[in-house]
Amino acid sequence: MISFVLRRLLQAFVVLFIVTIIVFILIHLLPGGPARASLGVQATPTAIASFNKQHGFDQGLLTQYWTWLSELLHGALGYSFKENSTVADLLIDRLPKTALLAGISVFIAVLIAIPLGILQAVRRNKIVDYIATSVSFVLYSTPSFWLSLILVLVFSVNLGWLPAQAPQGSISEVLLQPSGLILPVATITLISVALFSRYMRSTTIDNLTQDYVRTAKAKGAGTARILFGHVLRNAISPILTLLGLSLPFILSGTLITERVFNYPGMGLLFYNAAVTQDYPVLLAVTLVVALATVLGSVFADVCYALLDPRIRYARG
Amino acid sequence: MTADLGQVAAASPEPTAGTSGPEQDGVPKRPSMLLRTFVENKLAVLGAVMFLAMVLFCFLGPLVYHTDQVHTSLANQNLPPGTGHPLGTDQVGYDVLGRLMVGGQTSLEIAFGAAVVAVVLGVFWGTVAGYFGGLVDSLMMRIVDSVMSIPGLFLLMFLATVFRPSVLMLVLVLGLLAWLAPARLVRGETLSLRHREYIAAVRVMGGRAPRIIFRHLVPNVIGTIVVNATFQVADAILALAAISFLGLGIPPPAANWGGMLSDGLNYTYSGFWWLIYPPGVAIIVTVLSFNLIGDGLRDAVGLRAHRHL
Repeated sequence: MISFVLRRLLQAFVVLFIVTIIVFILIHLLPGGPARASLGVQATPTAIASFNKQHGFDQGLLTQYWTWLSELLHGALGYSFKENSTVADLLIDRLPKTALLAGISVFIAVLIAIPLGILQAVRRNKIVDYIATSVSFVLYSTPSFWLSLILVLVFSVNLGWLPAQAPQGSISEVLLQPSGLILPVATITLISVALFSRYMRSTTIDNLTQDYVRTAKAKGAGTARILFGHVLRNAISPILTLLGLSLPFILSGTLITERVFNYPGMGLLFYNAAVTQDYPVLLAVTLVVALATVLGSVFADVCYALLDPRIRYARG
Repeated sequence: MTADLGQVAAASPEPTAGTSGPEQDGVPKRPSMLLRTFVENKLAVLGAVMFLAMVLFCFLGPLVYHTDQVHTSLANQNLPPGTGHPLGTDQVGYDVLGRLMVGGQTSLEIAFGAAVVAVVLGVFWGTVAGYFGGLVDSLMMRIVDSVMSIPGLFLLMFLATVFRPSVLMLVLVLGLLAWLAPARLVRGETLSLRHREYIAAVRVMGGRAPRIIFRHLVPNVIGTIVVNATFQVADAILALAAISFLGLGIPPPAANWGGMLSDGLNYTYSGFWWLIYPPGVAIIVTVLSFNLIGDGLRDAVGLRAHRHL
């Protein structure tokens, strides 16, 4: 097991390395290069030239990459002139809020999806299953921003129960206004439930057709004991795997939801940076998000290997 | 914006009704059998009908129902549904129903284009990686993993900031983000196929790699490819809507479902529901139809592993 984890981490390391190369290429895709990226599109040629010299951008590409990478590893993520703060500070402020939003949503989604999936599996192809499957399909085909708009239209504009804008300020201030979090969380949760319950359903169906369930029944175990004692336990690992792999999906959903509800998280930061062409922020957030995704997939693979020992002993 | 669950779900296949793998003894299923399995699946047929209806609506609709989608008419802004405008008008006076049709054309064209780019690139990458295996495969798959590590929407937004959005650019960018899933799937299939006897036979008869790849491997992964391509189109429509909603899509007067919703966002409080419901419903119907068709195709081809959802 340990060697598997180590191998996987090594792979992740290689992947992250290539990600930094990709981000580096992205910086250089910009007309004007990294100087423009940091100084803005209105920088004068002289300013650009001195910036280049100062940061060593007038040297070969490999040297540049190495310098950039070492600066990065020392925590220098750049400075945002638009927001008037170092990018690192911005991330420290915004990341917990996005984590809060995503975390609550995923937690609730899993709480709903596991029982729902099991129910669908047990009542397979009956009415409950068809209704739940249809709803899942429709939800999965729904753009998340539209879902948010409909929720706002119904709950804020028409019924006036909930505020349409998410709480602002730092993480502690956000936690003091939970009612504003309800609609954003609902959006992400609904779409995640569609995905998770479908998966839970098929995993449970597979488990229920396994021999061990038949043996347990033959030994006289009741439905409840089978479901909770055996099936649920075997479902935990795939669910964790799924969570690890859905991280990009959830992060993208968070981005859109933060935009709609004006929630001051990392997604909104990225969106504002895209609109104002604030490249240091764009690049830093991309790196952070990529890091999260890679860690998520390593986590997923480890959980997957815990489930299926054959994976551990296979090559690569 | 979608989760590629292919690898994960490969371990827990959903038992389908007695269908076998994409090939039986090295021979792909007969088309008539595929069609029959597809047609028996009511949801899949529903999806196909929805899709056809949408295509007719978008492409033939404007011929029947003429509206001006180029010239704004501020005198007519934000009219609720009524005579002359079955779905009302938006904030610059465009008729909403007409705009839905034209927007649909753009959305469908771009989504299809992106899916084609994604599939072509993915198949090429996947078969080469799967066939040669070893270090080549490792490297190619690490690259796929790396690009996959950056969630599509973020990369898409970044690229849309750098390059001026146009139809071609969106097709290429969406395609470049979408080729990863097909590449993975095709590589997986190729890895298992390349050890079959008929491949060895071709090699013994003197066939070289390109011939093996194009004449033998690709036709046998067509099933997986077509299923995946269908889901790619669905994802592309959602991605395009998202990027247009965020304001980084094609600028007006080009119509786009996502762009219509972005305008609608501004008027949520005024209660102009006809700016919000119609484009959303159009997107849902179209994406749902592709998901249903894809699901039906997947069952027809008999794929149990490589689930998308």
